[in-house]
Amino acid sequence: MARLLNAARTPTHCAPAADRGVRALAPSLLLALLALPELLAVPAAPAVAQMNDLDATIDVRAIASDGERSYLDGGLGLLRFDENHQGLRIGELRLGYLGQFADIVHVTVEAVSYADGDRLPLDPTEAFVEIRPFPYLGWRSNVKIGAFYAPISLENRLQGWRSAYSLTPSAINTWIGEELRTIGAEYDLDWLGRQRGHDWEFGVGAAAFGWNESAGTLIAERGWALDDRQTTLFGYAADLGVGPTHRPRPFYWDIDRRAGYYVDGNAKYLDDLELRALHYDNRANPDVYEPALNDYAWHTWFNSAGARWTPAPDWTVISQWLQGDTCVAGLLFCWQYGSEFLLGSWQYGPDLLSARYDDFQTHADHPAFIAGVEQIGHAWTVAYERELAHSLSVLLEAMQVDSTMPARLELGERPGAVERMVQLAVRWDINIYH
Amino acid sequence: MRNNAQRRAGTHVNLRLRRASQSVNWCSVLCAALALLIATVARTADLSISVLDAHGRGVAGLVLVAMPDNAAARKRIGRVAVMDQINMQFVPDILVIQTGSSVDFPNSDQIQHQVYSFSAAKRFQLSLYAGHKYPPVVFDRPGLVTVGCNIHDSMLGYIYVTDSPYFGRSDAHGQLTLHNLPSGSYTVTAWHPRLEEGSANELHLRTTVVESEPGTVLFQLRRTVPISMPPHESKKWLDY
Repeated sequence: MARLLNAARTPTHCAPAADRGVRALAPSLLLALLALPELLAVPAAPAVAQMNDLDATIDVRAIASDGERSYLDGGLGLLRFDENHQGLRIGELRLGYLGQFADIVHVTVEAVSYADGDRLPLDPTEAFVEIRPFPYLGWRSNVKIGAFYAPISLENRLQGWRSAYSLTPSAINTWIGEELRTIGAEYDLDWLGRQRGHDWEFGVGAAAFGWNESAGTLIAERGWALDDRQTTLFGYAADLGVGPTHRPRPFYWDIDRRAGYYVDGNAKYLDDLELRALHYDNRANPDVYEPALNDYAWHTWFNSAGARWTPAPDWTVISQWLQGDTCVAGLLFCWQYGSEFLLGSWQYGPDLLSARYDDFQTHADHPAFIAGVEQIGHAWTVAYERELAHSLSVLLEAMQVDSTMPARLELGERPGAVERMVQLAVRWDINIYH
Repeated sequence: MRNNAQRRAGTHVNLRLRRASQSVNWCSVLCAALALLIATVARTADLSISVLDAHGRGVAGLVLVAMPDNAAARKRIGRVAVMDQINMQFVPDILVIQTGSSVDFPNSDQIQHQVYSFSAAKRFQLSLYAGHKYPPVVFDRPGLVTVGCNIHDSMLGYIYVTDSPYFGRSDAHGQLTLHNLPSGSYTVTAWHPRLEEGSANELHLRTTVVESEPGTVLFQLRRTVPISMPPHESKKWLDY
């Protein structure tokens, strides 16, 4: 398969290298939009409020796993830690900076180390400037510039884009952490209805970005996985050695010089319900070949939707769905991929108990024996967290992933695999400077 | 000489008369005040307000205000209330204050907040801060003021500003007792942001307070009210 996949990448040609009711909304929206330049401008003589907050997380884990050889180690196992990587491990060492200047300008940098030999020992996963004026007549504009996550995950709410409910995020949010990053600009317009006495709030947004033409590679070569390792901005995205096609791929590489986009919308009902939807298209030109990577630009697009429901103060239910396509080599090879999950979480004092079911599939539109993977699978995850102190918690997570991937035959493995992993983590959040 | 002696004697008489007159005045004032106090105490009564849901259970947390028809009974007592910020929530999430009172907004979180309101009754902005940085904000107009944090949209607080000095919130049993209300006619209001009954989430009842006779008012709701969410966000959650 690997030879065929590499052969498929041989270039055939090289191309050159965004007070109630609708009646009340309309005029206030108009005013808000007219005032947009003023909103986006930093006040000429602002009350200089400045804040620098630096904090860190140390996450150390004891791991027991019977997983197949992990894709991080050249296999087609879907877990971060396989049976050859058990015992005491670094979950992550995280460093986060939040700076706030001139009241409405915010700077965020998140960096992480997984101590697994990536290019840099500490590398950012996000780095962006956000301009967030005070609301005006219930409307607020928000601009982000830099490298950041698209507003897809309803699960990853902790600083550093980590899951608030388990150590390992869902398959959908695993993939977003691995291959998607907005390196560009995003504009959001929110209507803060609750500030005006309504029960609903709405928001729309759009972004233009570059440097994300490798997105889809992992879906095609490995399929979905479940791990909490986010790709860093200067690290390797698909390098992590999927099967014999192991090769480095810097995350930031821009292959076709063409900007991608996404548009999104969200709605919130009181504290009870949040809905999100997003359409993503990296608009990569799959005809463009990059000799330095020995790869094409991957044209990847998808739709995603999700809901977070809080039926009672201590209960949270989250569901996300994502379905899309990725094509390479002039649309010669295309894969359809999709996943969905359902998560339930119960908070009881300092205890948080969560359970999640993931379902995922990857289907090649071309004959499967030529290139890439076909995959079908599901996973169960159960997690328990106990907050020992304000900044210290212990987490226990057990998961089982059942998957079938014919491509494993080429590695001398059975197509079907049941992988289990138990992680016990101690997580310490440290405020370094405040 | 005589004239001088008479003038001196007359002066002494005048002084004695003036002192006597002053004593009479002070006595009058004290007596009048005492009489007024007695009269006032005698002309007041307690008012017990109950809020029950459709199942007959007490509803906690509702803002309850007894507004006297007599404007003279709406004496202003300026106070300072506190709305803290704890675990990325306003605590308490609902305040009821009298017009002219102030609210202090300390931030007890480790992270900074940026408090604002664009409600018609009070517009204000507090630039990014932690701890106790700003003096209390004066609320000089009656009405509902919704406060938020521009960094954390999930933070939402309500300040109900009323001209009446007689207010409070229902307890865990749905009860509130207001003490020493002057006799007269009142409009009793029940409000909560999630009270989806009446107009603008408000219910009104009329009642008359009769001196020395404890009164009762009952708000019987048609449905169960999902009252304030207790703090759930114990972590540094962000809006990704």
